Amino acid sequence: MSNPLILKLQHGADLTDEDRAMLESITARTREVGPREDLIREGDKPEHVRLVLEGFAFRYKMLPDGQRQITGYLVPGDFCDLHVWILGEMDHSIGTLTRCTIVEVPGETINELTARYPRIARALWWATLVEDAVTREALVGMGQRPADRQLAHFLCELLLRLQAVGRASETSYEFPVTQEDLGDTLGLSTVHVNRTLQKLRDDGLITLRGKALTIPDPDALKRFAGFNPNYLHLRRGEKKGDPRGNVFRSGA
Amino acid sequence: MPLFYFDIDDGERFTRDEQGLDCPHREAARDYAIGVLPDLAREAMPDGDRHKIVVTVREESGRPVFRAVLSIDAEWLDDGRQDRRPD
Repeated sequence: MSNPLILKLQHGADLTDEDRAMLESITARTREVGPREDLIREGDKPEHVRLVLEGFAFRYKMLPDGQRQITGYLVPGDFCDLHVWILGEMDHSIGTLTRCTIVEVPGETINELTARYPRIARALWWATLVEDAVTREALVGMGQRPADRQLAHFLCELLLRLQAVGRASETSYEFPVTQEDLGDTLGLSTVHVNRTLQKLRDDGLITLRGKALTIPDPDALKRFAGFNPNYLHLRRGEKKGDPRGNVFRSGA
Repeated sequence: MPLFYFDIDDGERFTRDEQGLDCPHREAARDYAIGVLPDLAREAMPDGDRHKIVVTVREESGRPVFRAVLSIDAEWLDDGRQDRRPD
């Protein structure tokens, strides 16, 4: 399976073969982490920069009363704590949703990358800005979109993000997010999430079989959600010979 | 923890809860059902003057044990003929 980090960062800069080889080398040593485990907790001072190569993880904060808010999802190719060695310590936690393949890159390696590989430095900067934009969009959704459009918007966003790293087909992807997780992401009760999912299903906008989510007509779902992909800053289809194949196996 | 189901009816759509939710006891299920209503009301933009959202709680066996209703009643206090919003 092609390297999701490279697939992703290609959207942020015109990487050369040398850049790609460098990114390939830093992602060579991997570690497996089980589902529902914390990768890092609020207050930790990480020495490594972590990266998700396979699986789903999420950023969250716990409130004193035990309530949880999920503030973002990490999919293959996403850095967990790219700038934490600048910030010092984690101001939130990161947990795995599924079994994940993780890479730990020493802070010095990132420093060296940014000093010696200007295109990679640019792409990392791009990735950080896009993550800000994704968080901004979630805030817009929570504040202004009704639940059904908010959920639809989230599903459209995941489709595009996963497609960008070759982990979704044109219409489907593996969706391991539970209704409880969705509630904590969208600021809705589980019952409301259940009802909203059912509405999208009844309206023929999505089908969900086990963990396989299908969006039969992505344009219809995007229209319904009022989804504008501009904030993801993807440069899809602009590059020749882009190895972004359809590697999602439905029904697997 | 016992499992409870929360069915929702807002007059337009009935959603039968097939998944259920673990609650430590009946009182927690009751509190949860009531808490869900304002959340749902945020969505409900009634066209008419009367609107009801009903949450029915079922036990694991399927037996309904609790119901909470949130109703919105709207009415003009004058004859309603002046200063009407243009259609």
